[in-house]
Amino acid sequence: MNRKPVLKQAFVSSLPVLMGYTTMGFAAGVLLATNSGVEHPALWAFLTSATSISGALQFMLVDWIQKAQPMLEVALLTVCLNIRYSMYGLSLVERFRGLPIAKKLYLIWSLTDETYALEVENKVPPGGDSILYCLTLAALNHCYWIIGVVSGALAGTALPFPNKGIDFAMTALFLVILTDQCRECRNRVYAAVGLLASVACALVFGAGRMLIPSIILMLSALIVFRKPLEKLESWRPGGRS
Amino acid sequence: MSGTSTEYLLLLTAVTAVVTFLLRALPFLFFGTGRRPPALVLSIGKVLSPAAIAMLVVYCFACYVRDRAPADHLFGLAEIAAAVVVVALQLWKRNPLLSILAGTAVYMTLVQTVIP
Repeated sequence: MNRKPVLKQAFVSSLPVLMGYTTMGFAAGVLLATNSGVEHPALWAFLTSATSISGALQFMLVDWIQKAQPMLEVALLTVCLNIRYSMYGLSLVERFRGLPIAKKLYLIWSLTDETYALEVENKVPPGGDSILYCLTLAALNHCYWIIGVVSGALAGTALPFPNKGIDFAMTALFLVILTDQCRECRNRVYAAVGLLASVACALVFGAGRMLIPSIILMLSALIVFRKPLEKLESWRPGGRS
Repeated sequence: MSGTSTEYLLLLTAVTAVVTFLLRALPFLFFGTGRRPPALVLSIGKVLSPAAIAMLVVYCFACYVRDRAPADHLFGLAEIAAAVVVVALQLWKRNPLLSILAGTAVYMTLVQTVIP
């Protein structure tokens, strides 16, 4: 079987991710260098980006390092941020069945939003090896992310600039994700649940201690009111469609 | 800014990497034999994400309210203006990178010049 067309197509498919990951990673890296106060930002940029490969997490890490956030909270918040990954595998279980363990582990480890989307799209040339295609894509995207974050950390260390307010990048990232999620009507209902629960907890516990109670309140509401919330999913204010 | 201990950073790296990997591995661990997950798990998995992201947005703004006493900072005008830029650009252009960079640039300009 000819491997070359598969490798070539994987590279072509990964090009949009190259743009996105290097730029977004760069921003996260700069933030780590300027705002976290760690001693060797490039080293930690490399270690964190290589091991978790997760955009929103990379931004949150800076906040956690600043505050020396307790590990239990770190773990819970990581689950909240990345719970969506646990759904992706469902559509790949069949394809990855029976693979050698090392390949399978790498494919799972590297499963980001973008890599998942490209693997599901699966634009492998006719007769090509689909697993080789997925592995190449995953490795390329993984490299793009590391390169972005590390170069951002290096730039942030080397070129000090007036960085006041750069922390807004994280707020902006969450706003972007929320905006995109709210294009779907059903998500608006659940975003509203999160909003109400966390505003209540912010008022009661204050900004510094609101996250854990918010997660508990939110999860309880989502479980207890599962049925009524499902009915709300198709509700339109004023009958608009 | 205080230097964070190497132990803390190593632990942080390990915890986030392991938790993230386990989340990615979950379907392969439990549903590898063609079984479907229970309905409650599937539904929570789908609905937790928008709720959690909304919570994190509230968290970011709660921190701004705490750290930047509203009356001294034109009642959060910088934060509100930058947030409007981000959401409007994202609705219009659907380009996450553009929205984030533009919103952050607006915010940095405002807090470094007009609304310190």
